Amino acid sequence: MNKLIWVKFYNSNYYQLMLRLNNIGITIYDNKKDKDDIFVKINKDDYEKIQKYLISYKKEISGLSGILKINWLIKKYLIFIIAIFFSTILLLFCNNLVFKIEIKNNNNNIQKLIKKELKKHNLTILKLKKSHKEIERIVNIILDNNKDTLEWLEIKYDGLVMIVNVTEKTIIKENTNYPYCHIIASSDAKILSLNLYRGVSLKEVNDYVIKGDIILSGDITYNEEVKNRVCASGEVYGEVWYKVKVEVPYKEEKIKYTGKNRYNFNIKFNDDTYNVFKSRIKNHKDQEINLYKLNDFEINLVKEKEYIIDAKMLTEEEAYNKALKLAIDNVQLKLDKDEAILVKKVLKKEVNDSTIYLEVFIITKENIGTVQIVEEEEIDGRKLNQ
Amino acid sequence: MKELHFRNYFKNYLFDLEDFITVYDGHLHVFNYEKLIKLNEKEIILKMHSKEIIIDGNNLKIKQMTNQELLILGSILKVEFKYE
Repeated sequence: MNKLIWVKFYNSNYYQLMLRLNNIGITIYDNKKDKDDIFVKINKDDYEKIQKYLISYKKEISGLSGILKINWLIKKYLIFIIAIFFSTILLLFCNNLVFKIEIKNNNNNIQKLIKKELKKHNLTILKLKKSHKEIERIVNIILDNNKDTLEWLEIKYDGLVMIVNVTEKTIIKENTNYPYCHIIASSDAKILSLNLYRGVSLKEVNDYVIKGDIILSGDITYNEEVKNRVCASGEVYGEVWYKVKVEVPYKEEKIKYTGKNRYNFNIKFNDDTYNVFKSRIKNHKDQEINLYKLNDFEINLVKEKEYIIDAKMLTEEEAYNKALKLAIDNVQLKLDKDEAILVKKVLKKEVNDSTIYLEVFIITKENIGTVQIVEEEEIDGRKLNQ
Repeated sequence: MKELHFRNYFKNYLFDLEDFITVYDGHLHVFNYEKLIKLNEKEIILKMHSKEIIIDGNNLKIKQMTNQELLILGSILKVEFKYE
C-alpha cells in the first residue's frame, strides 16, 4: 500500500513546480492550489527526492492520508480510544451484572427458601448473569429439591434486575381434616348419581336441589337427635341447566400476514416509545427483540410484519354453526374431565341484516357437591368445647 | 508474495498500443509520454516517440502525473501532432 502524504510548497509557481517534479520523476496523485501555496499529494518515499533536488523551494509535510493518517489519528487519540474501549467493556460488564433480586411471592418462608436456593447456585447480587440454559437447569434443580413446597418457578432478567416468579404448592386439605362439614349443592340441579363416603345423605337420585341445599350432611342423627358430627364426604353428580345467549356478525374479519417484513428500531423511555425510522408498512404487527436495556431505557430491534384484513361474509348456515359452537364452547370451558354436555337445544334464533342471535339451552352433567365447613362457633351458636 | 495485476493485464490487452491520448469531458489522458517539454496555463507540449503533441486550452492543469502517464485538466481547445 502506498503511503501518501500532502506536501505544501510555499509561494511557488504552479507550472514551474510541476515541470520540476516531472523532471525528477515524482508521481503526483493529486494537487491543489491555495492562494500562493501549492499542495501536492505524493508517495512518502518520494519526499526524500524532493528534499534532495528541490532545495530552493520552501516546503513541509502538511497532511497525511491513507494508512499514515490512520496511524497518526490512532497515536493522537490513543488515550481517548483506550478510554472508549474500556468504558464499553465496563458498560457491557455492568450490563451483565445483577444488581437487584426481586422475589415475587408474599410468603416470607418461600422468600427465605428461594434466597437460600439462589445463594446455593451462586445467583446473588453483583454476580454475572447466567445463560438461559444454565438458569433452566438451576430452576429444575430447585423445583426437584422442593417438590413439596414449590409448584412453579421462573427466573428471568429485566435489565440489571433478576426477577424470580415463584408459586408455592397449595396443599388441598382433604375435607376429612375438618371436624364438621356438609356437602351442599353448588348450583340448581337434578341429582344424577350420588356416592356417599361419610355422613348422611339427605337427597336421592332424581331429586331436584337448589343452590345451597345440603345433600350430604355431617350430622349423624338417631331418633332425630344429633349423636355425632363428622365431615361429610362423597361425590354428587347432577344435571345442570344453562341458557346461553350468543350473537355472531355475518362479517368475519381475519388477519392475514402477507409475508412482507420490514425492520426498524425503537427507543423506549419512561413508558414512551419512539420509532427511529418512519414505518414503511401501513398495517403491521410488531415483534420486538431487545438489544439494550438499562432501567427504563430500552433499545429494541422491531420486526414489522405486514398484514391485511381479510373480510369474509358468512352464509346464514355458517353464522348459525359458529354461534352454536361459541355457545357450546362457553359452557365446555367450565367443565372438568369427568363432566360432559348431555343435551343442547336452540331455543330461539333471530336473524337480521348483519347479525345472528341464538339462545341455546344446554344440559350438563357436573359435580355439584361442594364442601361447606361449619365452624365450631356456628354449631348451635356455641362452641363444642363449652 | 507474487501479485496478480489483472487490471494491468486486461488494460494492456485492450490497449495494445505503444502510446495513446484520450480526451473526455474536461480531461486529457496521455499514456506513455517521454518528456514534458512545456507547461503553462494555455499550452502543454509533450514528447511522445516520433512526434510532439501540443495541447492548447485555457486554465490547463496537471491533475495526476507519473513517469508514463499524465492526466490534464482544463478546457482543451486543440490537440496538435507534430511528426519529426
